[in-house]
Amino acid sequence: MSYAVEGLGIEKSFVRKRSLGQLLRDPFGRAERVHALRGVDLQVGDGEIFGLLGPNGAGKTTLLKILSCLVLPDKGQARILGVDTADEDRVKPQLGLVTTDERSFYWRLSGRENMRFFSILYDVPSDRRMARIDELLERVGLTEAADQRFSDYSAGMKQRLSIARSLLHDPPVLLMDEPTRSLDPAASLELRAFVKDELKARDRKTIILATHNLPEAEALCDRLAILIKGKIRQEGSVDAVRAFGLETHGYELEVDRWPGDFSGPAQVHKTESIPDGTLVQLSLTDGAELGDLLSALMHAGVAVRRCDRHESDLEEAFTRILDAEEPDDSAKPGGSGRQTGGAV
Amino acid sequence: MIRLLRKAWAFLERDLRAETSYRLSFLLQIGGMLFSVLAFYFMTKMIDPDTPGLDGIPPFQWMLIGLSFQFYFSTALYSFSQKIRNEQMLGTLEAMLVSPTPTAMVIFSSASWDFVYGGLRVGLYLLFAVLLFGVEIHTSSLPTVALGVLLTLLSSAGLGILSASFILYFKRGDPINLLLSSLTTFFGSVFFPVENLPESVRFISDYLPITWSLRVVRGALLKGESFATLQYDLLQLGILTAILLPAGIFFSRFAIRRAKREGTLVHY
Ligand SMILES: Nc1ncnc2c1ncn2[C@@H]1O[C@H](COP(=O)(O)OP(=O)(O)OP(=O)(O)O)[C@@H](O)[C@H]1O
Ligand SMILES: [Mg+2]
Repeated sequence: MSYAVEGLGIEKSFVRKRSLGQLLRDPFGRAERVHALRGVDLQVGDGEIFGLLGPNGAGKTTLLKILSCLVLPDKGQARILGVDTADEDRVKPQLGLVTTDERSFYWRLSGRENMRFFSILYDVPSDRRMARIDELLERVGLTEAADQRFSDYSAGMKQRLSIARSLLHDPPVLLMDEPTRSLDPAASLELRAFVKDELKARDRKTIILATHNLPEAEALCDRLAILIKGKIRQEGSVDAVRAFGLETHGYELEVDRWPGDFSGPAQVHKTESIPDGTLVQLSLTDGAELGDLLSALMHAGVAVRRCDRHESDLEEAFTRILDAEEPDDSAKPGGSGRQTGGAV
Repeated sequence: MIRLLRKAWAFLERDLRAETSYRLSFLLQIGGMLFSVLAFYFMTKMIDPDTPGLDGIPPFQWMLIGLSFQFYFSTALYSFSQKIRNEQMLGTLEAMLVSPTPTAMVIFSSASWDFVYGGLRVGLYLLFAVLLFGVEIHTSSLPTVALGVLLTLLSSAGLGILSASFILYFKRGDPINLLLSSLTTFFGSVFFPVENLPESVRFISDYLPITWSLRVVRGALLKGESFATLQYDLLQLGILTAILLPAGIFFSRFAIRRAKREGTLVHY
């Protein structure tokens, strides 16, 4: 099967700029290198929204720049619709990039003038240019403001114009770098809806979305990868990533008469006294069923008042992944980090 | 070619729209030019018309062509690197470079406004000269002038792209620019004929496109010399253009590749 976007062992390091002080202290010292990406493998299917999550400096922007031919990888390969990004002339027409950088427009020009300029760079045929611009401005709700100067736009309007620009040549693949970073909650929600309903459902675009906003990733993405220090540490569906580091079957129970030393087919993570009872978080040991646990509890004379599957949220998973020890460098790059259920 | 022109036009239109808000400063500049033409008129009165190298052209006219073309050359020299650097810092370069337009074409087109504006200024200087000082221009040799101007444009673009590549490659202020514009001004017969310099350094002027383009433009425009008379100078200018322009494009590819590898193309 071929993927819409594919990364094969992408590595990238940059020379860290040295400050004047460092230059004076050690004028001939070798410049330090920052390893922004350390072997990233990535497969994004057609029409998927793929989330790229990671803390600051994880390498998200670097990865997107490599995918959009702005930065060349040191090692490895990136492919868009099967074409190596080294072949810019064939790759760029397939790509749209949306960044938060509001400086990427000409502030003295109106929204429409900006769009006209970029439409020529994006090779929109001249007979369709005006119609295309009007249509896109309409879709992002900027028709009324089209002739205002860009400098008078609000952050939300700027971001919407940036999306409209990336759609000028109707590319099948969109790369979005923290598109909601400077938006207020209402504008963020609106943008999310636009991405989901318009770009995904209607246009069937393949989207890679870099963000450190977890609820956003949770709401939008079909699959996601967690990138930490230039490595993908966890990858999969939102549910799979959410379950990282948790026993596969985690439960939360409210019980009466909890014995301190319960030994059943489960591992107890946490107990907490609550009014008239105890709150217990546990997970089944491998191969055990919920029924086994419940009968073991009855044997021990415990009365179960409530029993729920414990859902972890993405934020908890993210913290666990961050806390988890970095896998050995000799481990397969791009492997999914630690296996779930590792606790003994 | 059509696409190239359309793109260059898009850049021109963009800058024109952005500049229209500076109307006052535009008027002031025209006023300033008028004054400098006046000053030159009186200054050149002190020059002996028989100075060797003037070839019988009145000093004022000789100098006026020198002044306006030297302005043109230095604009060309600086504008590519300045525009690219500006857009790099503004953040608009990235937006242009993710588009399917090839990077070299973006660099090439980015200076189109400066070229047109520079050309306008040359035209204005000449217009002042004709209207105010009754300088006589030989319209019969306009095709030759046009060819000379075209080659001037292309060779100076070559120099400009070379210096922009230098900046992209080394990411620092551009000694090439400084060197070239000083050489151009000093050895290019801009303000005084190169014949006045010691024999041993005169050869430098042969390698500067401005030397040849000034010979063509002065000869054709002010003396009405024919294509046949000027063909040697045109050939020299053509050879320099044929070296400088491809060299500029070649080195810009090279510099862009390096900048992409180092991640400095859009990250200043
Ligand atoms: N052009 C460059 N030159 C030098 N270092 C760079 C360059 N670009 C990125 N880096 C470094 O590479 C690392 C990864 O940066 P990157 O911008 O990809 O992270 P990010 O995940 O996008 O972070 P953020 O969430 O802050 O946007 C950082 O340490 C950064 O300083
Ligand atoms: Mg980033």
